[in-house]
Amino acid sequence: MRKKRTALWMYVLLIAGMVIVVLPMVYMISTSLKPNGALYEYPPKFFPKLKEITLENYRYILSQGRFLRNFLNSVLVSVSTVALSAVVSSALAFCIARFRFPGRRFLFAFIILTMIIPGTTMIVPQYELAVKLHTINSIGGLIPFYTAWVIPYSTFMIKGFVENIPRELDEAAYIDGGNVFTVYFHVVLPLAKPGIASISIFNFLTAWEEFPWANTVINDDMKRTLPIAISGFFGQHQFTQWGYVFALSVFSLIPILIVFISCQKFFVKGLTAGSVKG
Amino acid sequence: MMKLKGWNKVRVLALLLPGLLIFGIFTFYPIVRLFWMSFFKWDFGSFFDQKFIGFDNYRTVLGDENFRVAFANTIVYTLVTVPAQMMLGLFVAMLINSITHAKIFFRVAYYLPVITSWVIASLVFKYVFNTEGMLNYFLTNVVHVTSQNVHWLDSRWGGMTVAMLLGIWKGIGWNMVVFLAALQQVPQSLYESASMDGAGAWQRFVHVTLPGIRGTILFALVMLTIGGFNVYTSTKLITDGKPGHATEVVLTWMYYKAFSSGKFGYSAALSFIIALVLAVLAVVQFGLMQRKEDD
Amino acid sequence: MKKCSGRIQTAILSAAMCMALAGSMTAGAAESSVKDEDSVKTQASGTEAAAPSEEVTLNFWHHYSAQSPENETLMNDLIPKFEKEHPGITVNAVSHEWADLHDKILISAQSDTLPDVARLDSAWVPEFQKMGILVPLNQEMSDFGDVSGGLLESAMTTAQIGGDSYALALNTNTKILYYNVQGLKDAGVDVPKTMDEFAEACRKLSGTNKNGQQVWGYDEPGLSGWNLCPFIWSMGGAITNEDQTKATGYLNGEKTVAAIQMFADLAKEGAITGWNSGDIPMTDGFGTGRYMMLLEGPWKVSELAGAYPDLEYAVAPVPAGDGGSVSVLGGEDIGMFKSAHKDAAWKFMKFMTSEYAQEAMAKCGQIPCNKEALESDTVKKADFAPYIEQLKTAKSRPTVASWSEIDSKLSEAVTGVVNGDTTAQDAMDQLAAEVDELLAEE
Repeated sequence: MRKKRTALWMYVLLIAGMVIVVLPMVYMISTSLKPNGALYEYPPKFFPKLKEITLENYRYILSQGRFLRNFLNSVLVSVSTVALSAVVSSALAFCIARFRFPGRRFLFAFIILTMIIPGTTMIVPQYELAVKLHTINSIGGLIPFYTAWVIPYSTFMIKGFVENIPRELDEAAYIDGGNVFTVYFHVVLPLAKPGIASISIFNFLTAWEEFPWANTVINDDMKRTLPIAISGFFGQHQFTQWGYVFALSVFSLIPILIVFISCQKFFVKGLTAGSVKG
Repeated sequence: MMKLKGWNKVRVLALLLPGLLIFGIFTFYPIVRLFWMSFFKWDFGSFFDQKFIGFDNYRTVLGDENFRVAFANTIVYTLVTVPAQMMLGLFVAMLINSITHAKIFFRVAYYLPVITSWVIASLVFKYVFNTEGMLNYFLTNVVHVTSQNVHWLDSRWGGMTVAMLLGIWKGIGWNMVVFLAALQQVPQSLYESASMDGAGAWQRFVHVTLPGIRGTILFALVMLTIGGFNVYTSTKLITDGKPGHATEVVLTWMYYKAFSSGKFGYSAALSFIIALVLAVLAVVQFGLMQRKEDD
Repeated sequence: MKKCSGRIQTAILSAAMCMALAGSMTAGAAESSVKDEDSVKTQASGTEAAAPSEEVTLNFWHHYSAQSPENETLMNDLIPKFEKEHPGITVNAVSHEWADLHDKILISAQSDTLPDVARLDSAWVPEFQKMGILVPLNQEMSDFGDVSGGLLESAMTTAQIGGDSYALALNTNTKILYYNVQGLKDAGVDVPKTMDEFAEACRKLSGTNKNGQQVWGYDEPGLSGWNLCPFIWSMGGAITNEDQTKATGYLNGEKTVAAIQMFADLAKEGAITGWNSGDIPMTDGFGTGRYMMLLEGPWKVSELAGAYPDLEYAVAPVPAGDGGSVSVLGGEDIGMFKSAHKDAAWKFMKFMTSEYAQEAMAKCGQIPCNKEALESDTVKKADFAPYIEQLKTAKSRPTVASWSEIDSKLSEAVTGVVNGDTTAQDAMDQLAAEVDELLAEE
C-alpha cells in the first residue's frame, strides 16, 4: 500500500516538473498561433481563443521565399558538417586508438585541450582566417569551421567506441591479408557505427543552431541560416513581431525533433552497446 | 598498439591527414594566432598593421571595470547554475529510474529543452519575462504575490536571474540523461543489502547512490563548469549586456570589444585569460576524476 | 566488475562529452544587435572579380527596417525599376538593423568585404571618411555638380568634409512630439509647449489604466544622442563647443546636467520609460495607449497606420526650453565605398536620389532631399509641414569621427544616472573629461 502511494507521488512530481519544463515551448507554439496584434492584449491569454487561432504567421513565413532558403541553408550546412566530421573524426579516432605514430600523444592532448576552450574565444583569429580564405559571407565557408569545432568531441567519443572493439577482430582481418584500410572500413566502421551515429545527432544540433559565427560572417539575407533569420525579427526597438519569431522558431525545431525522436532509441542503444562490451 | 610497416604507414597517414589539416588550419592556427594577437595593439583601422605592446592588453583587461563585472557575472552564473542543474537533473533521473511506466516518455519530455536552440530558448524567455509579459501578469493578477510588475530584464541581477533560470531549465535534461545512465549501473544488490541493514531512503542515497555515481558527478562538474563559462547567446539576446554593461558575461564582453569597439588585441588577451582559467580548472578537475577512477 | 565499470565510465563520459558539446558550442556568441531583413532578390552576389562582361551585381546595405513600407517600396518598386533601366546591373539589397549596420561596415572594412553602396546615418560619415573607405564623389564623378545641385544644400553639407563630398543626401528628417489625443483629453492635459509643461504632462499622464496596467507619460527607446539631444538642446545645454573640440563646460554644463536630471527624475517617478530591455516596444506601446507621448520622425505615420489604424494621435513641435524648440537632425546619406563598382554604384546613387525614387520613398515617410520631389504633389499631400518647420531649428549631432564612441559612452553614463548609480553632475563631469580626450585625437 505504502509502496503504491510512493509510486503515485513519483508520477505526480514527474508530471509537475514536466509541465514546468515544457511550458515555455507550449507558450511559444500558442503565441505563434495568435494574430500579431493580440500580443499586447489585456488580459494576456496563455492560449488564444479557438476562434482567434490563426495560421497567418505561418502563412507569412511560408510566403517569404527567403525563409525557405534559410531553411535549406541550415540543412546544407548541418548535413555537410555531420558527414564531414563523421568521416574525419572516425579516421582520427581509429588511428589514435590503434597505432603508434609520432605526435600521437600530442595530438590527443590537443584534442582534450580544445574541448576545454570555449569555441567563441577563437572568434577573432577565426574571423581573420575567414577573411584570408575568402569565406566571409559564404554558406560553404561555415562548414570547415563547424567541422573543426566538433571534431575534438567526436574523435574523443568515437575513440572510446573503437577501443571497445576487440583487437582480435583487427588481427583476424590482417591475417586474412587485410591492410589498414580494410580494417578501418570493414571492421571498425561497422562496429563503431552506433557511436558515430549518436555523436552525429549532437553534431547536427550544433551546426543547426549555431548563432555567433554565422551571425558574424554572413551578410546577405539569402545566405543566412535559420538562427540568424529568427533573430532578425527581434531586437528592433520599434517593433518585434513575436508571432513571426515564434512561427519561424517552430519551423526550425521540427527537423531537430524528427532527428532526435527518431534517433532517440538508437542513441541509447549506442550508449549501452559501447558500455556493455569488453 | 600496432607497429606500422611499409604501405600501412602511408595508409595511416592518409587516414590522419584530413583531420590534421582541418585541425591545423581551423583550430591550431587560430589558437596560436590568438596568443600572438594578444601582445599587439590590433584595432579597427590597423587590422593588418599592428604594433607589439607586450603585456599591455592583459593589463588593460585586468584593470577594466567592465571586465571585472563580466567576470563576476560569469562566476556567479556558474556557481548557481551548475549545482542547480546537477541536483535537479539527478533528482529527475532518480524519479525516472524508480518508476516502471512511461520512462521513455518522461526522458524525452525532460530532454526537449536541451535540443531547443539557445536562440529560440532565449527569445522565449525574453518574451515570458518581459515587464509586460505573461509571468508578471501571472504573479500580479493571478497569484497576487506582488502588486507591481517585476522589472526582470532591467537590472543586473534581474537580467542575470533570467539568464540563470534559462541555463538551469536547459541543463536539467542533459544531467538527467547522464545520471540516469550512471544510476542504472549501480548494482541493485547494494541497495538490497543496505535495506536489509535497515537503511532508510536517505541513507541509501548517501551511502549507496552517491558513491556509486561519484565519477559521473565529477565528470558533470567539469563539463558544466566549462559550459558555464561558455554562456553567451542567452545573455546577449535577453539583455544585450544592459543596463550599461551590467549583465555582460566574459564572452559577450569579449565579442563586444572585438566587433563593436574594434579592439581585437584586447579581445585576444581576454580570450586567452578565459582559456587559461578554464584549462587550469579543467586540469584540476580532470586530475581529481582520474584519481577517482584509479581508486 | 572493476574493468567493466571503467568501460562504462568511459562510455558515459564520451556520450556526455558529446552532449556537452552540443551545449557548449552552441552556447556561443551572439552579435550585439540583431538584424532586420526582408525579402531580397539575390542574384549571384559578391562579384568581387570584375567580370569581363557587363554583368555587375551591386551590393547595397541599408537600414530600412525589415517589414517596413520603405523596404517594400525598395524591393518591389525601386530596385526592379532600376534594374530594368540598367540592364546588366543587379542590385543585392541587404537590410541590417541600424547599430548593426554601423558595426558590419567597420568589420567589413577590415576584411575588404564592404558592399558597393550603403545608406548611411549622416552621423557616421565623418567616421567612415576618416577611415578612408568612402569615395570623394566630387573628385571622381564628372557630373557630380549636376547631381548635387538638384539636392538640398543643407542636407548635402552632412556629407561634406574638408571641401570634398563623400555621399549624396538621401533623405532628411527630424523628430517631433507625437501624442495620444484621447489620453491627453482624459487627463485634462494640454499639449505641452515648454519643457516644464512637458515634465508636468508626463507626471499627469502616467498612472494606471482601467485594466490596472501601468501607463507612462512619455517613451524614449534609448539613451543615446539621438534620444537625448532634443532635451539637452531645447533646455539650453550642449554636447561640445561650437568648434567641436571641447566637451568640458558643455556636456557637464549646468543646463545639460539639468536635462539629464529631468530625465532621471521622471524615470524615477515612473512617468517615462522605454530604454529598458523589458519595456514594450515603442510602436506597440504607443499604439495600445500605454505610452502617451513620443518624439518620433515622419516614418512613424505609415508604421502606425499599418499596425494601429484606429489610434487617434496628433503631432506638435518639440517642447521649448531655454534653448528654444530644438530637435535633432536626422537623415541619411547614400555613399559608395572605395572597393565599389564605381560606374554602376554611381548610377544607382543617382537613381535613389532621383525625383521618382524620392517621391516613392516620400509616400513611406522619408522626407526627400531632391528639390523637385519636394515640390511634388505627393510631398504636399504627405503633410511633412510640421517636420519641415521643426527642421529649421534642428541641429545635427557633433560631426566628429569619434561620434559613435562618444555616443555609446553618453548612453552608458546616462544609464548609470537613470538607474541611480551616480548623480547627473558626477556622471557628466567624468564623461566630459573622456570626451575631451577623444576630441583631442580628432
